[in-house]
Amino acid sequence: MIQTFALLVDAYRELNSKKLFWITMILSGVVVAAFAALGINENGLTLLWFEIGDFNGFLTSATLPPDQLYKSLFANFGITFWLSWIATILALVSTSSMIPDFIASGAIELTLSKPIARLRLFLTKFAVGLLFVGLQVLTFSAACFVVIGVRGGAWEPGVFLAVPIVLLFFSYLFAVCVLFGLLTRSTIASLLLTLLFWFLCFGINATEVLVLNGRESNVVLAESLEARIGRMEANTTKLLRTPPDDGTAETREPPTRAELESANPRIAEARTDLEKLRKNYQPWDTAAKVFVSVKTLLPKTGETVDLIDRWLVDEMNLGRTFGEDDDDSEAGSSGPAFARLSRADQQKVTKRLETIYKTRSVTWVIGTSIIFEFLILALSARIFTRRDF
Amino acid sequence: MVPMLQPNVPLTHNEWAIDLANVDKVYKGKIHALRGIEMRVRRGEIFGLLGPNGAGKSTLVKILMTVISPTKADGLILGKPVGHKPTLARVGYLPEHHRFPEYLTGGQVLDFYGALCGVPAAVRKTRAAELLGLVGMSDWSKTRVKQYSKGMRQRIGIAQALMNDPDLVVLDEPTDGVDPVGRKEIRNVLAHIKDRGKTVFLNSHLLSELEMVCDRVAILVQGKVKSQGTIDELTVDQRRCEIEIAQPADAAHAVFAAALPAGTAMRELAPPTKPLAAQPLAVAPATGRDSELAPVRLIRGELASGQAFEIDRSTMRISTDDPALAMPVLDALRSRGIVIKSFKTVRPSLEDLFMEAVTDPTTGQALGPGAARETGKGAPK
Repeated sequence: MIQTFALLVDAYRELNSKKLFWITMILSGVVVAAFAALGINENGLTLLWFEIGDFNGFLTSATLPPDQLYKSLFANFGITFWLSWIATILALVSTSSMIPDFIASGAIELTLSKPIARLRLFLTKFAVGLLFVGLQVLTFSAACFVVIGVRGGAWEPGVFLAVPIVLLFFSYLFAVCVLFGLLTRSTIASLLLTLLFWFLCFGINATEVLVLNGRESNVVLAESLEARIGRMEANTTKLLRTPPDDGTAETREPPTRAELESANPRIAEARTDLEKLRKNYQPWDTAAKVFVSVKTLLPKTGETVDLIDRWLVDEMNLGRTFGEDDDDSEAGSSGPAFARLSRADQQKVTKRLETIYKTRSVTWVIGTSIIFEFLILALSARIFTRRDF
Repeated sequence: MVPMLQPNVPLTHNEWAIDLANVDKVYKGKIHALRGIEMRVRRGEIFGLLGPNGAGKSTLVKILMTVISPTKADGLILGKPVGHKPTLARVGYLPEHHRFPEYLTGGQVLDFYGALCGVPAAVRKTRAAELLGLVGMSDWSKTRVKQYSKGMRQRIGIAQALMNDPDLVVLDEPTDGVDPVGRKEIRNVLAHIKDRGKTVFLNSHLLSELEMVCDRVAILVQGKVKSQGTIDELTVDQRRCEIEIAQPADAAHAVFAAALPAGTAMRELAPPTKPLAAQPLAVAPATGRDSELAPVRLIRGELASGQAFEIDRSTMRISTDDPALAMPVLDALRSRGIVIKSFKTVRPSLEDLFMEAVTDPTTGQALGPGAARETGKGAPK
């Protein structure tokens, strides 16, 4: 316990000496202060004592109650932007030197020669790095909790869900940073490689969203086309069954496909389009499966943070839906499937994507990410415990 | 030949602070850094480890301190196997080129490394104050390490190594960068540690420093212990009496040869390829004292009393530190009216000993620096 506490105090002194810990804290304070400075009343948005405007009546306390404003700001900006990006990058910059400095020649000998097992030393160092990031997230969440309570009038303990989730998300990256730090012994190299890895994960995630969007658009477009073909066939059948003017008896046999297509050539065109869409489905589906497989092996940075959305939206009654702000332009007539969708179809696609992501279990999102982190940590620990320094 | 420790009274395991056998280290690049090290350090003594650069000294020290894992190692440190982590709570260590966190003050350095040894906070506080006083750093305890000079860092480093009140202190180049006054103070600190019954294991290049403080030394050359023991034990073969006569160098050998008492065996040798002072005086086969001596630059032989000798220009060296055994030679020289310029008994210095250990006896050249590659040409056998 004495040794663990000593490492903790040392890590604090190290971060304190680099100022970045406090710079991040101050920036977090500025962000929370900016939240608190914003307000909303019956006349529109306010900043401190100044009224900004109601944006054509769209933003007033009648359309967006104060508690909803602050909760939205916390969920959409505080977590998704600040904690998941800016604060995480600052945290990586703060902590990326921990391992390279720790194993630097002349320093590591002093530590390894003490009566502490290498594995314990390594894991303590890792945990201490996480602890300080956790402290930052906790402080930010607590400040947001107070702002939402005081300014919005709603006390939402749910905001503290951000602490374990963001910490977990950061731990994936920190584990990678530790591995690169051990391998390269360089702060800059480990930081850049970690950022590169993070952007790779982000890129894979973004590409998967595109691929899924393509596949689901294809499905929705096919369903829409099938319905259209059905409607056209019904209308054509109706026309074909109309009794002739000469008074002869009405035929009872349903028209054949050839008869229908002969009577209405657009049915044939639509069928051809449908065949094409069905043919296109397979490559989209294969690509989607490949991305899911790749993502299974990697940490799900984006989806881990999205868990906060998934839980907080329900918890705080924000009524925010997945992809609500997505493109709502009119459907086009050419290009990829998702570019030819009507607004109604786009909403269907959005719903389907939302369902796909929501049906991905927390076990899959967190479990596979933790397995990745565990393997990376195990590899790092093995390197650290076996290396001759 | 490696003079092995021959204690008068057999020591038990508990009486050895360090008792190593078969310590081998082969690095991944096939560098064979250590080759079957056998070394013993008594409790309560100051033991010096010498060796040229790359001889494996730091590797050995790092193995003792678990910084490096040995390829093979038998032996004990403070009665526990090498690599036993809990034992390190009783060991203090100052690495060479150590680097303390620069954001810490001297006092914080002592507190941090003391805590890593598991020393309770109250004890750390008291001990840090004592040790800062011992190394003369009390006034600098609240200054950050980054503002320290190299000598000050060494002092804090030594204090740090003593924070856990260790039974064994391993110091790697403790006087590196320290001025002469500081060195003397460090010697006093070492004496203080020894007086308290602790063992000190010193690794240093400063032979004169080691000679002043060490009870015993080991010389490591190309991953092997070339010799170990007290300096007296190691120099027993090289102590000698030297007689210098007032004769020109060219003529001196003939004068010596003519004056030596009856029964003296001599032979002439080729010029030496390494310093004579670093060579034990070997007995040369007798060839009679009437050899033609004129062009000879070096003569070796054996006195009637059994002492080997050599004549090098105007100096005669007799392999004994007992002046009485040199008296017949002095008498013979004086009876012939030869002026004795000087007569002295000589004990080789640690530097002589070191130079002998690192010199190839066959070529007279210094052995190559660094550890040998496992498969490399000229690897030591």
